[in-house]
Amino acid sequence: MSQTILEAENLCKFWGGLKALNELNIQFKDNQLHSIVGPNGAGKSTLLNTLCGAYPATSGVILYHGKPITNLKSYEFCRAGIGRSFQKTNIFHNATCLENCCIAAQQRIGGSFNLFRKRSKNRQITEIARSALEQAGLSARADIRAAEVSYGEQRQLEIAMVLATSPKVLLLDEPMAGMGHEESQTIISLLKELKKRYCIVLVEHDMDAVFELSDLMTVMVDGQHLITDTVDNIRNNPLVQDAYLGNDDEVF
Amino acid sequence: MSIFSNKSEKIFIYLFFAIGLFIPLFLEGNTFYINKFSTIIILAIFVMSLDYLVGRTGMITLGHAMFYGLGGYIFTILAPEYEAVNFWVYTFYVMLISGCIALIVGLIVLRTSGIYMIMITLALAQMTFYFFADSVEYGGQDGLFIYIKPETSIFGLSFLDLENETHFYYLCLLSLFNCFVFFKVIMNSSFGRVVDALKENPDRATALGYNIFHFRLIAYVLSSSLAAYAGYLFALQFGFVNPSMMSWDISATALVMTLLGGLGSVYGAIIGSFMYEGLHYYIEHLTEYWMFFMGALIIVLVLTLKHGMAGFLNNLSGGKR
Repeated sequence: MSQTILEAENLCKFWGGLKALNELNIQFKDNQLHSIVGPNGAGKSTLLNTLCGAYPATSGVILYHGKPITNLKSYEFCRAGIGRSFQKTNIFHNATCLENCCIAAQQRIGGSFNLFRKRSKNRQITEIARSALEQAGLSARADIRAAEVSYGEQRQLEIAMVLATSPKVLLLDEPMAGMGHEESQTIISLLKELKKRYCIVLVEHDMDAVFELSDLMTVMVDGQHLITDTVDNIRNNPLVQDAYLGNDDEVF
Repeated sequence: MSIFSNKSEKIFIYLFFAIGLFIPLFLEGNTFYINKFSTIIILAIFVMSLDYLVGRTGMITLGHAMFYGLGGYIFTILAPEYEAVNFWVYTFYVMLISGCIALIVGLIVLRTSGIYMIMITLALAQMTFYFFADSVEYGGQDGLFIYIKPETSIFGLSFLDLENETHFYYLCLLSLFNCFVFFKVIMNSSFGRVVDALKENPDRATALGYNIFHFRLIAYVLSSSLAAYAGYLFALQFGFVNPSMMSWDISATALVMTLLGGLGSVYGAIIGSFMYEGLHYYIEHLTEYWMFFMGALIIVLVLTLKHGMAGFLNNLSGGKR
């Protein structure tokens, strides 16, 4: 059994009176793809943003390798090895795809305070960036400006940038948002490869993709944890069907 | 590998410094024009430091003239009144002290950004302006005089005489060149990579694990101490400092020059300052209402040239960006 890397204990995030996350307990294990589903407003994105340090938790603890990291600064989460991608494409449009990954890799390798060393002189960074691009299937686009590649490729770049930070945990916020069927297939096969090596937390609306990819699924409703189980059990769970999936053909 | 980012920049820099080197020979000791050029070159150093700050790091300040003025005041206050001090030693002092001040100021102002940063830098600069304008000790509105200019010997060898206009001109030209190279080097460095990133998308840079505050602070300190260096040269040229050096319209005019030259292009700062001062000088001789026409012309130029003169030259040379 693979070990737990990241877990949340009684995690709460309140926006004023709104309980976006309410006493949530959840565990993420190594080399597994754990997806989080739920209707709009269930708190899925809030959970990701809290887990990556973008939103400070109202109360509760986030444990990483068994140590509490709740009080780290937001930039320290990434340094610790928790990488995240964004629902809305969030890249450096004016830089090339390779440079985008170099920016990500340089954080890990260091030398960012070196004022005089030419940035291209650091081969190690370029290598990491290239291999991240390769994993995401973007090698051919390395020298093209990020603004000029297609939307689907920008989504791939988003994942490549996370990979370039050498993370242990990948928090992916709707990597397939707004994608066509074929583009989604690229991401799905990419994620199938990645889940062999990383702990992946996936928030995604494309249920076909979720059922295909997930090792474990968590259903969230109103900021609360409803159930965590394997895909098959979730599918057959009457509670979930009633509360969330409803009739088979309902779209969410 | 070249430090130039495009062809037009390379051509401009070679041409500018080639002409700059030889121009005193043609002016044949016409000290008015040599002094005029020195002044504009000093201004270009100041504008370049602002151009880096605003155009490359995305921090907009209306208080940069504070450091310009402080550069002059630090020297004048520090140096003994009737004794020639060493130019290089005091260059070090001026930049070090202004850098320390910039560090403290930066710790405060960099907590804000955008319009708030404009306001807080403006407020701090005006505070400093009125401090010196009202101070009895530092000469109030009249400022302070520099009676003896520094000597420039290194290990007993002296080849620059700051009393000589042509020598001083070459010192300014060399300073501008060094300043340009310095900014180009830090822009191309690993540090520059992070600065580029945080300018375009600070949230993403944070999500990638960078503490962007540190990078902004370093850029702010570097830029401010070079602005102080420009103010120090200005004070040496005219032999006095007064509070008007740090008044807010100097900051605003410098911002206009960076826009004219092409924000963030660094070499555009040289074009911007020469263009502005050239137009100023020319229109001033044509009409009494030079400000009016100058203003109109600048509005037209800024509207038509989207990336300033640097962008215009780049288009001319067929480069894309």
